[in-house]
Amino acid sequence: MGQPVLDLLPHIVNGLVLGLLFALIALGFMLIVGLMEQINLAHGSLFALGAYLALQLIGPKPPLPDDLAALWLQLPLGWRYALALLIAPCIAGLVGIAVEVCMRRTYGKDPLYGLLLTFGAALVIEEGIRLIWGTRDYVLPVPQALSGGFIFQDLIWSTYRFYAAGIAAAAIGLVWLLIEKTRYGAMIKAGAHDSEIVRALGINLSRLRLGVFVLGTMLAAFAGIILAPIWGIRPHMGVDAVVPAFLIIVLGGVGSFWGAVMAGILVGLAVGLSGAYASEWSLLSMYVLLVAVVTVRARGLFGKKSLLEA
Amino acid sequence: MPARPDAGRLVTPAMIGLWLVLASVPLWIGKVGLYPYIGVEILIWSIYALAFNLVLGTAGLPSFGHGAYFGVGAYAFGLAQFHLAYNLWICLGVALMTAGLAGLIVGLFISHRRGIYFAFLTIAFGQIFWTIAIKAYGITGGEDGLLRIARPPADLGIVAFDLRDNVALYYFVLALFVVVVVALWRLVHSPYGRVLSAIRQSETRAAHLGYPVWLYKLSVFVLSSALSGLAGGLFAMAQLSAFPDVMSLNQSGLIVMMTLIGGGLVSFWGPVVGVVVFLAARDLIGAVTNAWMLYFGLLFMALVLFRPEGIAGMVKSVLERRALRAQGGAALRLLFRSG
Repeated sequence: MGQPVLDLLPHIVNGLVLGLLFALIALGFMLIVGLMEQINLAHGSLFALGAYLALQLIGPKPPLPDDLAALWLQLPLGWRYALALLIAPCIAGLVGIAVEVCMRRTYGKDPLYGLLLTFGAALVIEEGIRLIWGTRDYVLPVPQALSGGFIFQDLIWSTYRFYAAGIAAAAIGLVWLLIEKTRYGAMIKAGAHDSEIVRALGINLSRLRLGVFVLGTMLAAFAGIILAPIWGIRPHMGVDAVVPAFLIIVLGGVGSFWGAVMAGILVGLAVGLSGAYASEWSLLSMYVLLVAVVTVRARGLFGKKSLLEA
Repeated sequence: MPARPDAGRLVTPAMIGLWLVLASVPLWIGKVGLYPYIGVEILIWSIYALAFNLVLGTAGLPSFGHGAYFGVGAYAFGLAQFHLAYNLWICLGVALMTAGLAGLIVGLFISHRRGIYFAFLTIAFGQIFWTIAIKAYGITGGEDGLLRIARPPADLGIVAFDLRDNVALYYFVLALFVVVVVALWRLVHSPYGRVLSAIRQSETRAAHLGYPVWLYKLSVFVLSSALSGLAGGLFAMAQLSAFPDVMSLNQSGLIVMMTLIGGGLVSFWGPVVGVVVFLAARDLIGAVTNAWMLYFGLLFMALVLFRPEGIAGMVKSVLERRALRAQGGAALRLLFRSG
């Protein structure tokens, strides 16, 4: 046994990796909450849907005519994986369009209605998944280069986790650029504050909101594909994703981008470290963390005043 | 809810009508292809939904982890029976008190929080209780559940009723349902209940009027969780066991759904309507297709979009329209007669 800090180090690294993944799970949810002040409870189901769609695309029976399917299957796994990573979120985005079109009727009303509507949508999507793919567990195949592990400092590390954490960091950076550094981000944020003025300036707010919502659902599906090889694919994975996503937003504080990212990393660290000592109870740690933080800080870490606490 | 003419009464005609219908259920339920047990289930879930609506509909507090208190009540009922005393009143009392205590602890954390923070804290605490129920194998039996819970006889001193038969249990639960309905009706229409609905309309305004808002939120949360615990105790008795899944997020979501479908936001009876519709739909659609949740989810979405005030709200608006038309007719007649 070495020094206690060195013993802890692998757990901290694992926790940080896990934290980035949690932040990735919350990213789409965060986008919709932050820019539209709407809670998308279907986030988890779309997350699961993304994973199932990718599985169908990569797996032995793609939804294509026979000759095309044969051609598709000749592609190396790496290519199929990369294409599935692009195509599956687009298909999930179509579902997102349908949900947003329904949700329009609730804008301007109590945010509870949007939440309930998406809860209904979550039930429908989850049951749909059960109907199509059944209740069994699946494993998403990943390219050879990403699977397996490597040895560093006498410890075995999973390659895939580091790859996933890298992707998560990149996605977080891109979304931040979109919100903070482009006109679109500014327009949508202004729309959440004063939709009348934004419309009067000649901006098509409905289309912008549709765009944000669809991007949020695509991010959910994307996160589902990235997380699938780690968590496995099963109908319940949606609930396993939406609860941490929601938790991270509340912990970070509604309306704060970096608050949510930090909350994700904190949750990852909490789950990772508690997992090392009391693995049975590690999932509890994030709830305890949330209760502790929100008891002291009423709006989470960096929350701003928002419509969602009226 | 606006003041109603029968708000001041202890017992209203609607209550008596409902109780009479419910009392006759065991006589005909077998003939329509259902069974007495579903009647028991409907009554228990109705108590639960009425208790839940105290928080959601009356005080306007979004609590999404209420299954925790229902589950705590169920486990407390079983554990009291095994370790404390084989007595129905003690067991039900323990279920009520334990769930109330759980509600008090959670309430102390959340009574100063609002909106999304309140809502998510209720979810977080719900998940904490659920995880404990699954992981504390030695106490709760983990995912296998707490089995072999018996139904102690209802001992009234002079007579004791055996509740092992489902019809007997039905009438016992009905008696409790009557008590709960009367108590909640009084509570909702009392000065205390009026303050709760003021808080629902605007927490800030109620606070500025000098009401200690957090104390009202805390007390209503405790009351609601205690009653949910009572329902949970009854549920353990009906099922002869207690399982963690009633505490899961999904099941907590279902009680929200039932309450809203029925129209808990606009009507005292909404939660009961919702429970009947939900359980009947589960058994009727569920008999035809396995994917009944798919259709029910679509139905729920349509309801949220087009009739957010639920079934009771729909009925109410039809009645009001008819009343208006009658009034309009009377006014016209008056006009023509005088003119």
